Amino acid sequence: MNKTYGTVVMFFCLAMAVPGLNGQNLLIKNGTLLTVTQGTIMKGDILILNGIIKTIGRDIQTTDDVQVIDATGKYVIPGIIDSHTHIGLSGTNEMGATITSEVKMRDVLNAEDTSIYTAITGGVTMVHTMHGSGNPIGGENVVLKLKWGKSAEEMVVGEAYRTLKFALGENPKQANVFGTGGTPRYPQSRMGVNAIIRREFLKAKNYMEQWERYNAAKKSKKGAKNLIPPRKNLKLEPLVAMLKGDMYARCHSYRADETLEFIKLSKELGFKIICFEHAVEAYKIARELAEENIGISAFLDNWAYKVEASEGIAYNAGYCTKQGVLVSINSDSPERIRRLFNDAAKSMKYGGLTEEEALKLITINPAVQLGVEKIAGSLEEGKHGDIAIFNEHPLSAYTRCDMTIIEGEVYFDRDQYLQEREEREKRKREEQKTKEKKGGVR
Amino acid sequence: MKILKFLFLIIFAVSSVLSYPILAEFNPTYAIVGCKIVPGRGPQIEKGIIIIRDGLIEELGPAGKILIPEDAEVIEAEGLYAYPGLIDAHTSIMLETPKREPQGPGRPASPADEQNEVSNWQHTDFMAINHLKLKKSTIENFHKVGITTICIAPDKSIFAGQSVILNLSGEQPEPMVIKNPFALHINFVTVRGEYPSSLMGTMSLLRQSILDTEHYHLHSTQYLQFPGGLKRPVYNPFLEKLRPYVVQKKPIVFNCANMEDIKRALRLTDEFKLNAYVSGANEAWRVSEDLKKSDVPLFVSLRFNPPLTSIFVNQGEDLKKKAENEIYPANASHLHREGIEFSLTSSGLTKPGDIIKNVQKAIKAGLPQDAALKAMTLNPAKSLGIDKIVGSLEAGKIANVVLATGALFEESSKIQRVFVDGISYTIKQPPKGAQPSATSIAGKWDGLIKSPMGELTSTILFQQEGDQITGTISSELGNWEITGGVLSGNTLSFTIAANIMGNAMEMEFSGSAERDVIEGSISTMAGNAELRATRIPEEE
Amino acid sequence: MKKTGCVWTAICLLCLALGIRSEQSHELIAIKGATIIPVVGKDIPEGVILIRNGHISDIGASIDIPENAKVIDAKGLFAYPGMIDSCCTLGLSEIGAVRATQDSRETGNINPQVSSVEALRPDSMHIPISRSNGITMALIAPAGGLISGRSGLIRLVGWTPDEMIVKNPMLMHIQLPGGGRAPGERADATAPEQDSKKIQELKELFHKARYYQKRKGAAEKDAIITSPDFDEQLEFLLPVVNGELPVMISVYTAAGILDAIKLAKEEKIKFVFYGVNEGWKVANEIKESGSPVVLGSLYGMPSKWDDGYDAIYRNPSVLSQAGVKIAFSSSDAALAKDLPYHAAKAAAFGLDKREALKGVTIYPAEIFGMADMYGSLEKGKVANIVLADGDILEMRTNIKHVFIDGQEMDLSSVYTELLEKFKKRAK
Repeated sequence: MNKTYGTVVMFFCLAMAVPGLNGQNLLIKNGTLLTVTQGTIMKGDILILNGIIKTIGRDIQTTDDVQVIDATGKYVIPGIIDSHTHIGLSGTNEMGATITSEVKMRDVLNAEDTSIYTAITGGVTMVHTMHGSGNPIGGENVVLKLKWGKSAEEMVVGEAYRTLKFALGENPKQANVFGTGGTPRYPQSRMGVNAIIRREFLKAKNYMEQWERYNAAKKSKKGAKNLIPPRKNLKLEPLVAMLKGDMYARCHSYRADETLEFIKLSKELGFKIICFEHAVEAYKIARELAEENIGISAFLDNWAYKVEASEGIAYNAGYCTKQGVLVSINSDSPERIRRLFNDAAKSMKYGGLTEEEALKLITINPAVQLGVEKIAGSLEEGKHGDIAIFNEHPLSAYTRCDMTIIEGEVYFDRDQYLQEREEREKRKREEQKTKEKKGGVR
Repeated sequence: MKILKFLFLIIFAVSSVLSYPILAEFNPTYAIVGCKIVPGRGPQIEKGIIIIRDGLIEELGPAGKILIPEDAEVIEAEGLYAYPGLIDAHTSIMLETPKREPQGPGRPASPADEQNEVSNWQHTDFMAINHLKLKKSTIENFHKVGITTICIAPDKSIFAGQSVILNLSGEQPEPMVIKNPFALHINFVTVRGEYPSSLMGTMSLLRQSILDTEHYHLHSTQYLQFPGGLKRPVYNPFLEKLRPYVVQKKPIVFNCANMEDIKRALRLTDEFKLNAYVSGANEAWRVSEDLKKSDVPLFVSLRFNPPLTSIFVNQGEDLKKKAENEIYPANASHLHREGIEFSLTSSGLTKPGDIIKNVQKAIKAGLPQDAALKAMTLNPAKSLGIDKIVGSLEAGKIANVVLATGALFEESSKIQRVFVDGISYTIKQPPKGAQPSATSIAGKWDGLIKSPMGELTSTILFQQEGDQITGTISSELGNWEITGGVLSGNTLSFTIAANIMGNAMEMEFSGSAERDVIEGSISTMAGNAELRATRIPEEE
Repeated sequence: MKKTGCVWTAICLLCLALGIRSEQSHELIAIKGATIIPVVGKDIPEGVILIRNGHISDIGASIDIPENAKVIDAKGLFAYPGMIDSCCTLGLSEIGAVRATQDSRETGNINPQVSSVEALRPDSMHIPISRSNGITMALIAPAGGLISGRSGLIRLVGWTPDEMIVKNPMLMHIQLPGGGRAPGERADATAPEQDSKKIQELKELFHKARYYQKRKGAAEKDAIITSPDFDEQLEFLLPVVNGELPVMISVYTAAGILDAIKLAKEEKIKFVFYGVNEGWKVANEIKESGSPVVLGSLYGMPSKWDDGYDAIYRNPSVLSQAGVKIAFSSSDAALAKDLPYHAAKAAAFGLDKREALKGVTIYPAEIFGMADMYGSLEKGKVANIVLADGDILEMRTNIKHVFIDGQEMDLSSVYTELLEKFKKRAK
């Protein structure tokens, strides 16, 4: 990887100064560009300067100091976005309490999680890494760019929506946990899950009012002489942020009825839902979801592992898309994350989606759901240079990700990986030979 | 009844006799003559004299200029080097593990799922001074490596308790105390079976506790001035204990197992303007930029095992070995090159003997010798707030002196004698030709672990090279690695790198090993367990 | 002359009428115009397949189609042999978390007496889903313990177990603890030493079984010699030690594979390897042993960083290039329809595409000793045929027709039923 910074590049950097972005320069040449939002460009070029896509077109010329990637015969797509994972974290659930809205995934980032590397070998450049579904209200999630090798802080995507994890159904009511010892915790039914969420929001409203009264009293001349503010409650602060519209709900839900009830709850209490996670029965209520403008972030065909997933069908994503619901496909797994493009391809068979609609499920759709559509999700000038390059069409079963680029920097290069692997194996063979010469050990 | 009373009297009498010092320490005036003096601050003296009286350095200077007092016992030190006694600013050796109550079912049954009243993580009032296990042999082991002053810190649980600074002379703890307490120690750990059971919970707990302390302080002080309009604050023993640290900014030491912990500590320090120290930090070089910006005093552990989260552990055996032998030992030298001041500590190590070995490794990896010396004398003295009384050889300071046959960290040099509080301790050298222990525990064992929570059967596989022990322990909870094991004679200690439900935790074993039986205790945050292992005979 | 023409027309009309009434029997079907990929032999562009009495009676580029044949216009489609899943839990598992629906695993260590087909549920909701994706046969296998039990080969259609069973028993299943993703199971990363301990246990069992048989034989001939007491485990191991029932051995590590090869040689037992995630490290040895390999699910992760991120994906191609016969499996029930995509994934990482296709058609048939009847589109073989609008290993392909034993299959499943039901709610 040559990283040379000439004065020309510096000039471009200054010209393109984007606050906080410290990207590289790269020219991708002669590939089949699947832009996702603006059609396909055959034998296309992409010029990335300072991490931003400057130009998309044909036969782009640039200065010598910009690294060139030859994409002849290859397919270039926007970096894949997985909007439901748990990678890059030290810990997934805080199971010591039932409501844990005070915890933040940002506090436990782990940039050394090898699952990050696994994900980039599958063309994934951005993830929404979340609290688990063990509690009715979990913690605050975070969006990361998978800059393998960099520090955790450099991975955080500040532009994304603030989101809080909610969970309904079997997981928070602990239906599949046996032998908790002693008294099981409340709630143990779907009734209780909704009741406890309602309770927390009502507490948050009360807390919000306490602060409003305090602030008003402080300002007024006749304020009480002895005024101390209410105790700052980190559990309720995120819920207040939701009531004020600064943070949104991403809710894990399987059954169609619990999904609908949660929508009702959000209206009753006054917060916004961006999308439902998993939502395997969304096809049953596609109409409502489309009307409410609430999306889903689902598996393509993972189902039947528990009772609430037993009516999940592979047609879910395709059908909901056709009914006007914004659908993204996720992996929720460090193994599945590297074949998200295969899952997207299945939506063409199960659901009849076109190639472009299928690709959207893992690019622009999750970008919109995360609030980062201005910087990611498609190949467009002005967006970040987050790119995945495949040797065959990404929706072919025979395809393979050969290169993953984030903000113009190459983070995964299959050729380089093959070279390193060969050197490693050569070294092992030589070590083996010397061992055998010494003592004939198998 | 009479017999019982009689026995009781005997036991009482014997124990009072035993607790009475048998011999008062011999504390004459000394004149150390003819040695090379490396005072730690100020110029070195080629041939000098040090006068020690009543536990303090009375005078020191070049040989010609110092008069030897009449009552002085002269110690001929020609050819020897005199150094300030070394300071270990963070150790947990000689600390009794706090007893934990066995945990109940753990989950509250009512909708009010507030935190338990008395939780396993609230140990702010655990004072190290009250839980010391001073053993003469351990003190000797510290002396053997030139350490005269240590800060003993509690290391289990989130709010672990308060540390104490001791000067290692005599046998009773009270006269040893230089400062008590030094600081409140906080660890980024979790609690099994209750809140917080994950690191994210721990971070929120820390924040909420500090906020609650500030609020409690405001509420309490305001109430006492004028209660009008206020409800009386409910006395909260935990928040009371935190007040000096949050409000009066007394020192807090964050024990950091990895670089993310360091960042977490710095963030909390910045958010709440704490008077914080960062300790542990054996991969501090990876966040040197953040450390430089924050200016927080740094205690760097001499334990070189990469943390379980480290990328150096997850990418193959070769890289892991390189990490232990080259990369992590170079931590201190990186920091030095970046111009970051630090103290070297033994936190995480279980044997004082390893301390100097590892300092030598750090020097081999690029840390200059004088920087190493400073990191174990003046820097820790300053950080611990005792630099007016220890840390260098200067008239008026405590007489902590190390006499070595050569430059202190040279492999060939031996420490002959140390003075602590002016008392002389001669270091016994092992007889030449002493054989290392012939016991071998390599092989397969059936291990039975008994804990308050039940019994666990396991299979243990040990590998042994000299006195270094490694291996694996397999049970229904998983397969875990055994690292850092040492078999010294029949004394065995090792660390188990466990992983329970996705949470990595380390457990320490210490006990005794015969050819066919191993017995001892395993200490974890959740309490102690007993391990008894019997060897599985070789199959044909 | 006109009169004869009328008579002939009448006869033709009569035959036609009879033909229409006997539609249910489908005894004679002609698939016309598809690009035929027989897997054995050359592809036939726009050929004809004639099905009679459940078998392929003729196949070729230009074949006379009898008048009473039901003709299926397959222009623009591709004809493949029905796929074979070489190891799965179809019919033995419905919902993972509900133990009442799980029947692939018995308790205990040595269970040669259990037989998976005796727990087969023909109504399983997973079977139609696999079938509608072009999979026509599957080996349903038990798991757990050291000796898990016996598997059977089933066709993916039938009202009763007997209607589904093609061959039972097929194999005896042995699982070395060193891992191997036995159907529905996660690889166990216990130390390889456990493998060698288990192999010792197997050797002892085989030894006991052989003696048991010898003793029984001796007792039969000589009344004075007492016959051994009935021993269920040994009794059911006799076909294995006699070489009548081959073994599928699930093994993961290179060392375990080598130990298993040695065991097979010493015990003179025919092995099929399953899993072999580290097979690429000892591919030559596996080839030398002559044992074929059924790969586990490719939806897995290598356990060692040094093996490389794509170790599981390239394993099949390394084995294939060394000359090992490989077959693919779904190793699942709920995701059994993904069988072809495991094969495609292997092709993405170096396996020849046709070898990948053979890994889900002719190679499983050969491994199970059924290649005379199954696994390819050849004259005389059973008419298990798939018609698709593209390459059946591609996810984007739509399966249009599936034939099992010459009968056209209903391609509906719980997927399509639920979809149709809720489509009614659409605005």
